Amino acid sequence: MNILEFADVSFSYSQKRFVAQMSFSVAEGELVGLMGPNGAGKSTILKLAAGLLSPQKGNVLVGKQNIGSYSGKERAKLVAYLPQILDLQAPFRVGELVRMGEYPQEGSQALCVEEALHLVGLYGKKDTHLAELSGGERRRAYIAMTLVQGARVLLLDEPMASLDIRYQFDLYKLLKDIVREKGVSVLMSSHDIGMGAMLDRLILVKGGMVIAQGDPGTVLTDKTVQESYDLNESVGAYMETNRTICRAFAFAGV
Amino acid sequence: MKRKNGYPVLVAASLCLASLCIIVISVASGPRLLNPFSMDIETCRMLLAIRLPRTAVALLMGGALGASGAILQGIFRNPLADPYILGISSGASLAASFGLLFGISLLTLSVPILAFIGAIATGAAVVVLGHDRKGLQPERLLLAGVGVGFFLSAVLMLVMTVSVDDGLKRAILWMSGDLSMVDWGLVPVGLLFILTGFAIALIRRKGLNALTLGDDIAHSLGFNPTKERFILFIAASLMTAAAVSMGGVVGFVGLVVPHVVRRHVGSDASVVLPLSVVAGGTLLCFADAIGRTVAAPLELPAGIIAALIGSPYFIYLLGQKKA
Repeated sequence: MNILEFADVSFSYSQKRFVAQMSFSVAEGELVGLMGPNGAGKSTILKLAAGLLSPQKGNVLVGKQNIGSYSGKERAKLVAYLPQILDLQAPFRVGELVRMGEYPQEGSQALCVEEALHLVGLYGKKDTHLAELSGGERRRAYIAMTLVQGARVLLLDEPMASLDIRYQFDLYKLLKDIVREKGVSVLMSSHDIGMGAMLDRLILVKGGMVIAQGDPGTVLTDKTVQESYDLNESVGAYMETNRTICRAFAFAGV
Repeated sequence: MKRKNGYPVLVAASLCLASLCIIVISVASGPRLLNPFSMDIETCRMLLAIRLPRTAVALLMGGALGASGAILQGIFRNPLADPYILGISSGASLAASFGLLFGISLLTLSVPILAFIGAIATGAAVVVLGHDRKGLQPERLLLAGVGVGFFLSAVLMLVMTVSVDDGLKRAILWMSGDLSMVDWGLVPVGLLFILTGFAIALIRRKGLNALTLGDDIAHSLGFNPTKERFILFIAASLMTAAAVSMGGVVGFVGLVVPHVVRRHVGSDASVVLPLSVVAGGTLLCFADAIGRTVAAPLELPAGIIAALIGSPYFIYLLGQKKA
């Protein structure tokens, strides 16, 4: 069953159209990637899905209902959005941050703070300041907040940016666990085409339009990547190297 | 930095105990030392008419400024935000100075009421200027406050430069946080506005926490950032306007007290707001007690003393953070 659906959605900030007649869906318990070159509209798509932006045409449906029709609290129980850059200066401790996920729930949260911290591997860092965490740990702390929030759809804007391979490994493992164990759906943007094999499904976008979508192995061909990123050279060797890394991840249980 | 679970409770208990001790010291100290446990009628009269209202005003002012600072630093996500950076004090100062310099008392409007009107009018102007089609943006609101503040300060300096009135010294003292002229008359209305602002802020404490994480995450947690920012800004403006109208301009407390409180108990607004009230009130009360004692019979403005006491401690805390 689809939890998130874009139905013929168009959006423009001014004269320039950023998303044009876009249609796709995300099923429950699915890890979906959004890839494409800079300016393709990935962040705009995520903000539309989060209800931060309203489409000029078409509908963004969450649980078969227009995202704009939900109250703030109802929306927060369904959708959580994490921007690419998480505030380094946020003056909270890990436990304080994760507890904020309880705000929309009023005592009926999907997961208690301790469980969420355990799931993201930060149980021992409840009283640590966010500023003292590494980039990967900080992102995991914010993900723990969204788990307590009980959101059915997690929208992540380039969560792997600036993370080294170890933290990318940890984060993919965490997202796969959440998808498998909690039935949460994840829609995440990424620039790392080589990591496409880690996803359940991939949506390739360019100029605010969907170029291809489906199984990552089918979508990410030399031809689609060249077309999407305006490349003249073959990227086959680059992608093969990354496939090897993905196989190593798979071997390690991710 | 890791803290044990009971640490914030210990800090809160110690602060409340220190506050009680300082209230007793403040009531007892002055040009003439009073023993609150052994008093004659004349001493009682002095206590009720001078020392108690002054202590009450210092507590209320300091508390209001501490809480306002905590709110504004959260909604602007800026550690330098305080009740005065938004021009509210400049508006109050200009209006009050007109009253003090030109003896304006239109329809029995006194200096505190003029200050309150000046503060609220400035706050409203800043909100209007800080609003664009996306809503109440923190950067725009902050810049509007700074711009309006500089403009009003310039007008104030111009008015003071051309003035030769006796009210000039009184105006300067008023702008340094001088509490020597306060009485019970201002306390009930001031208390009402401060309690109203504080109650609004406490009710909206979750929104304040969420705004501290940024508008996108606040929205993701189910809040409307523009609405939350507007309501919290009104709460901070009410408290600042009431504080300024009761005892003049006191800087520093609103800027530094929330930082010191957060340093000890974390940043959850449910804890920071009430403790900023207690810490701000205690600091100003202590500063006022020192100001009227150290150079008696000369009185030094509480605002100046608060900055002199608090700044070294703040710098010490900054040094510790670096280490």
